[in-house]
Amino acid sequence: MLSFVLSLALAQGYAPPREGTTPLDTEREARVQRLGKQLRCAVCQGVSIADSPASMARAQLDKVRELVEQNKSDDEIYDFFVERYGEWALMEPRKSGVTLGLWVFPLLLLAGGVWVIVAGTRKKPAAPSGPATDAANAAAAEDPFLAQVRADLDK
Amino acid sequence: MTAETKDVAVTPAAAPADTGANKRLVGVGIALAVMALMVYVMARGFGTDPHSVPFLLSGKAAPPFTMKRLDTGQNVSLEQFKGRPIVMHYWATWCGPCKYEIPVLDAVARQYGDKVVFIGVVFEDTEPNAQRFVRELNWSFLQLFDPKSTIAVDYGVSGVPETYFIDKRGIIVTKSISPFESPRELSAMITSTILKD
Repeated sequence: MLSFVLSLALAQGYAPPREGTTPLDTEREARVQRLGKQLRCAVCQGVSIADSPASMARAQLDKVRELVEQNKSDDEIYDFFVERYGEWALMEPRKSGVTLGLWVFPLLLLAGGVWVIVAGTRKKPAAPSGPATDAANAAAAEDPFLAQVRADLDK
Repeated sequence: MTAETKDVAVTPAAAPADTGANKRLVGVGIALAVMALMVYVMARGFGTDPHSVPFLLSGKAAPPFTMKRLDTGQNVSLEQFKGRPIVMHYWATWCGPCKYEIPVLDAVARQYGDKVVFIGVVFEDTEPNAQRFVRELNWSFLQLFDPKSTIAVDYGVSGVPETYFIDKRGIIVTKSISPFESPRELSAMITSTILKD
């Protein structure tokens, strides 16, 4: 609870404003902003560091800028934050490793549900008692077991 | 109908029923497995504090830093403290709980003397604010300034105050995200983490 309150204090801008970092050139700054949208602000509630006005979020975005300037790859930059804050730092879980399950599992569930529905609707109602249909006769003709029974009865 | 014919009639008739039962069994098994997985995920989720930020730097080398001393303006780097256990405390002048924690840190820093290096790091603050605060309170240990909070991000700080315990090999043993309420509490933490060997 205490850490939450303290985090709110940071998130809500009680910290004195500080000088921002100069943006990089257009192309690299666009990359900084794109990466920033994928990284969670450490002191906010579900807001990315690119979208948060919190001073700490700006510090995190500055770190992204610094890493972009060092020509680090996207994965290296994500790894930097994951190493410090865990997978929690990513706004969207990665589509690899253990977190791949978070993407695949709902699709599997959906596919399973569709399969259950299709299998349920395909199932024919129990054949009514009475004369057999032509289709049933045709099936019976193909069934070697029934053919054997018929042959035995005919004897 | 002969006995032989009866045998033939019974065996194949049982097969479709078995297949249906097996299918049902597989279905129930899958449903149970899915439910067990969901219960496991929910139990794990409910067992954690949704507001806490995970910290994965424990057991890893402390990120290097060079910061300015608030009293003399000289640069200080982590390298200078190689081979000595460190208590690194992040704080800010606008942070209420930090003020209550100051006497605790000060007392323990005096108690350990040269055995443990105590470093205060002011971040998310202005330098004049921090300098005035340090002068007024007459801290007994080193106070550094992180003007753009870049060192705080390097260390994975997610609030104030936060205290890092770094052993003499330069490895972060753990961090505390809540203020220490008594010298005894902080002392016990130091003994059980960076002075354990």
